[in-house]
Amino acid sequence: MSRITVDGLTKRFGDTVALDDVSFEIPGDEFVVVLGISGSGKSTLLRCLNGLETPTAGTVRIDDAPVTGPRDDIAMIFQQHNIIGQMTAYSNALTGSLNRNSFVRSLFQLQDADDKLRALDALETVGLLAEAQQRARQMSGGQQQRVGIARALVQDPSVLLADEPVASLDPGSAQQVMGYLRTAARDRGLAAIISLHQVNLARKFGERFIGLRDGQKVFDGYRDAFDMDVIDEIYGDIDTDELFAPEGSSGDAGSAGGSAESGPTGDATEAAPDGGSRR
Amino acid sequence: MSHSDRVRDRYADIALARKVRAVVLAIGVVVTTAAFYYALTSVGFFAANIPRYLPNFLGALGDFFPFLTLSFPYVDPAGFLEYWTFVEERNLIWGGFGGDTPLLGEAGITLAMGFAGTVMGFPLALLFGVLGSGRVTPFPFNFLFRGIMSSIRAIPALVWALIFIPLGGIGPVTATLAIATDTIGNLGRLFTDELEEIEDGPIEAMETTGANKPQTITFGMLSQVTTPFIAWTLYIFEINVRIAVSLGIIGGGGLGQVLSVQQGLFAFTNMMATILVILVLIISVEVVSQRVRSTLRADEETQGLVSLLLGFPQRMAESLLK
Repeated sequence: MSRITVDGLTKRFGDTVALDDVSFEIPGDEFVVVLGISGSGKSTLLRCLNGLETPTAGTVRIDDAPVTGPRDDIAMIFQQHNIIGQMTAYSNALTGSLNRNSFVRSLFQLQDADDKLRALDALETVGLLAEAQQRARQMSGGQQQRVGIARALVQDPSVLLADEPVASLDPGSAQQVMGYLRTAARDRGLAAIISLHQVNLARKFGERFIGLRDGQKVFDGYRDAFDMDVIDEIYGDIDTDELFAPEGSSGDAGSAGGSAESGPTGDATEAAPDGGSRR
Repeated sequence: MSHSDRVRDRYADIALARKVRAVVLAIGVVVTTAAFYYALTSVGFFAANIPRYLPNFLGALGDFFPFLTLSFPYVDPAGFLEYWTFVEERNLIWGGFGGDTPLLGEAGITLAMGFAGTVMGFPLALLFGVLGSGRVTPFPFNFLFRGIMSSIRAIPALVWALIFIPLGGIGPVTATLAIATDTIGNLGRLFTDELEEIEDGPIEAMETTGANKPQTITFGMLSQVTTPFIAWTLYIFEINVRIAVSLGIIGGGGLGQVLSVQQGLFAFTNMMATILVILVLIISVEVVSQRVRSTLRADEETQGLVSLLLGFPQRMAESLLK
């Protein structure tokens, strides 16, 4: 289990501030959902976490080692899958083992039987063992995303990142993919950080929630504290009032419970039974 | 009917713009005509006395097409036999087993030059093409490789053959080397262009798996373009067979050399027989290559090479009936 520490993370693109002094800490194997509207900084946060972007200020550390570039113990799942269409599901999954194999071995697919079995294991985890030899391009969007998850698992990471993994999928496939993601993370004891923009999926699968708005962290807490007020805070009042509070009662008094500013103050034990029971 | 001032102003503007355009057009026509006249003078067109030589050419046409006659029915089948006699006698399309000439005769030599040149040029084309891409080699340095490929392209294959003569003598070896060199420049350029259009996603994905640079290039980049790369290589192969014909004319062997020798003997019937063989060879290569490429593009991944070849006559017949 790896402890992820984010400290004062700031990222500017020219004059645009994508992330503004974001700090949090994730101990080990939590399933964390990052929420926010488009442009709130979710993708930038994840890209900083795995070193695809270099922060303007602040640090990301896994255990005590700072993240300075892509590394093999952090696996990433992308919104657009980014799997290789010309190759089979199996070959795609096997690319997760590139960091453990030399160029020549990987080129001629001469990896150890260990790695090859691990690739098939991962495909089984995401329910694609029977389709292993199918070309990725001929698969559906949901299947392609599951191949992406399999590749990430073959990498044998300690941290699993997913940037809007279900944004381009239909609701059914989205639930399925999220289910596979959570099973994989739980079975292998991985810390998972998933960015989502669908509140219903977040509530269904999330264990801990981090809310971003205009690059700032506006919420960080567990299931019991994640209520209507928080959703308003993250998404602004306009849409969520209509969508989630049809009675028209004002959001102020509507729901009791934790405030938006409550941090992850050790409520994990209370949240776990609720979060862990669903699939 | 009265018109507002604004309408009249705009009318005047448009009229003026049309006049200016007409003047510019007239100047353009005059300049182009003058340049054309000067170009004809430069090549000695007016001194060539084409009308005087026209009867000669018409006489040659009779030799070119021996099957044409001046009286009804205007076609004499015996003329085709003259073509065939030469094709057979000089082993243009069939060299037989175990002889000095290859299986497919002179056509086989031409085809072999194109094929061997393509295969020899391919590895360096791939290397230079990949290194010429801005995504692989950082900006100013990739132009080193692009520059090498541009220089190779700037020199025609014919000139490369002249350069290689001290190395391989006048013959098919030199022609093959020239074709290989030409392939590096042309195919490499196509590879580089193709690599500019790939998506960043899979490259980033490979980086996040902790892959090293060669692995990222192979799996993230090249795996996206295997199909177009094969298609471009086949296209260059087609062109190389054509180049092999023209290199034959300066002594490179194969059909081109036969053509050049017969031209020197003023044996126009034999020349035309050779040209017809060239036509058939080039078109056959093109048809096969086009078929393979369209199969690759059509995403019929399950179709293996065997079924591709076995199914060829049927597909050919189908497309002819369309």
